[in-house]
Amino acid sequence: MSSAKSNLAIVAACVLALAAGVAVFLLRPNAAQNLDDASASVGATPAAANERMPAGLKLADLDGRAFSLDDYKGKLLIVNFWATWCAPCLHEIPVLVKMQERYGAQGFQLVGPAVDDIEDARRAAPGLKFNYPVAVGTPEAMLDLMTQLGNEQGGLPFSVLIGADGRVLERQLGEYSEVELAALIEKNLPR
Amino acid sequence: MPLIRFASLLALLTAALAADALDLSRKPHGDTELLLADQAFQLVSVERSAAGVHLGWVIAPGYYLYRQRFSAESVDGGAPLAALRLPKGTAKHDAHFGDVEIYTVAVDAELPLARGQTAPTRLKLRWQGCAEAGVCYPPVTRIVDVTATP
Repeated sequence: MSSAKSNLAIVAACVLALAAGVAVFLLRPNAAQNLDDASASVGATPAAANERMPAGLKLADLDGRAFSLDDYKGKLLIVNFWATWCAPCLHEIPVLVKMQERYGAQGFQLVGPAVDDIEDARRAAPGLKFNYPVAVGTPEAMLDLMTQLGNEQGGLPFSVLIGADGRVLERQLGEYSEVELAALIEKNLPR
Repeated sequence: MPLIRFASLLALLTAALAADALDLSRKPHGDTELLLADQAFQLVSVERSAAGVHLGWVIAPGYYLYRQRFSAESVDGGAPLAALRLPKGTAKHDAHFGDVEIYTVAVDAELPLARGQTAPTRLKLRWQGCAEAGVCYPPVTRIVDVTATP
């Protein structure tokens, strides 16, 4: 093969390879488009200004006693959804217990709805040493409650921070670190 | 030589485009954006096979399924099915769950049938997984039709 023909063959091969690469790129699954449907991010998301906690949200504790999130009006409230199948949740709970212990007397309150089978949550609760109310119900009911509080994506752990005046302040998908949670609580404790 | 430089440039460009398209880094897109569970874990096959029923899932980059959290049962009634045969997963140590196995790309499982056992027409399947970004999804339960081998 002459040198000119050889060069032409190399160029043609390269152009074909590039075309293949472009084709693979253009035909890739459109992750960005999928994410438009999911629209959930790990980390904290500030709530809309003046967004308020839905009124009348009823829960049942581990012993079956009814209570309401409205019972905690006047306190800085974190509603933390967890489950026994969720390792990041189980990792986060000791930090939450510590926060309840440290700031409970200053007007801070945690509530922990379990997105779980009731018996699984009851079995796990003693080992997790909760010092705040744990709410149980059917997984479907707990997912519905989580949706009402702004998590349509369904991932855990999920927390909602609600001010003493009933305003939703922020939502957190994924774990809080101890340092960021302590700072957040101190900033928003009732005065 | 200009031709060699041109060829090298084209080869690099091709590789970069393909790598982006195939997401060879296998990290979640945008690092913090999350897919819905059905986007992260797609059930792509529930098909009659020679040995039983083949089940297949595709897992999005940056997500994983727990081997121990798969289950399958017939909703047709009849004889109980054997345990789901799952491939070996990647070992993962978790402070709460101990030593577990996970799948990060795909799962090919087989639901074996005993000799002479009628294949189920509908199955109740269950699976559960998480995002590497530190968020876990509730267990997914689906009742699905078993399709015939094409």
